[in-house]
Amino acid sequence: MSSPFEQVVLQSDFDELETSELSLLETLDHVLNRGLVIAGEITISVADIDLIFLGLNVLVSSVETAQEVLRERERRESVGGTERLHTER
Amino acid sequence: MSFYVYCVVDPIDSLPDETLKGLGQQEVSLLRLAELAVIVSEFAGNTVPVSEANVIAHQKVIRSLLEVTTPLPFRFGTLVSESQLNSYLSSRQPALLQKLDDLRGCVEMSVKVIWPTSERPRTVNSEDQHLGSGTAFLAAKKEEIVGDATIASKANELLAWLNSHLDNLIRDEQVTLRPRERLVLAAAHLLERERLPAYKNGLAMARAERAGLHFLLSGPWPPYSFTNIDLEFKSKFGVN
Repeated sequence: MSSPFEQVVLQSDFDELETSELSLLETLDHVLNRGLVIAGEITISVADIDLIFLGLNVLVSSVETAQEVLRERERRESVGGTERLHTER
Repeated sequence: MSFYVYCVVDPIDSLPDETLKGLGQQEVSLLRLAELAVIVSEFAGNTVPVSEANVIAHQKVIRSLLEVTTPLPFRFGTLVSESQLNSYLSSRQPALLQKLDDLRGCVEMSVKVIWPTSERPRTVNSEDQHLGSGTAFLAAKKEEIVGDATIASKANELLAWLNSHLDNLIRDEQVTLRPRERLVLAAAHLLERERLPAYKNGLAMARAERAGLHFLLSGPWPPYSFTNIDLEFKSKFGVN
């Protein structure tokens, strides 16, 4: 199966993050931060998987912190259990 | 039962991909309301979890529309009843039609520029650590003020330099400069689809000039950064 983020990141010479991670963060940056808003009707939940949401915010403010977050996510994924994130990669 | 709303588009006859699934593997539907077409799917819950699967589903639906038209994407997590959707579209119809007209045929490209480590702004002066606390405080303040001005100037130069390569190719832009952050510049550029090759070429030439900088280019996106009608709505149409 091809990546769901295919063609999102066109070029990157920033080798501190994997392209797939950059693609995810770029997608989050667009779909969560921008677009039409019907006042009061954005009803998202981040309680169980806040690392992704955090990842978005930290990319905007600090690439280094994003690395920390992604490392933490990998650690949690390797542990598995209820904290495991579902991916389509 | 609520509607999860993906985007508004110019009236079209059918979805580009009738088999497309939305969040929760729900069937995606095309509604025609107030001279507009809206892409929705049914949603059973009260909140939308921010999961990779949901984000991918949201993006996939909107991207499929981008293949055939220019969608005005809703922000992730927009749940409405049919009456709320009708009310929004009928009250915002002039602004939405105007926005569709303004953005027709355009896409968004995202450029992020990251300072190399060697050019990062200095935040702590090691020599100051040997000074008394009051002197060190004043020295740090001076460093902060002088440093801020220098760094801001460098960031503005960077923006001017980038725009010198792309100005004649883009129709609009949204720029965020954060001189003290490593991710110093984030720009969303709006351009006509047919200008994409020239845009990429212009950016490649720019990158070749400044090999020390890191670039992250993504797109083409639906015009996420240029769709918000709320700020324009009040002034143009006199309605809150």
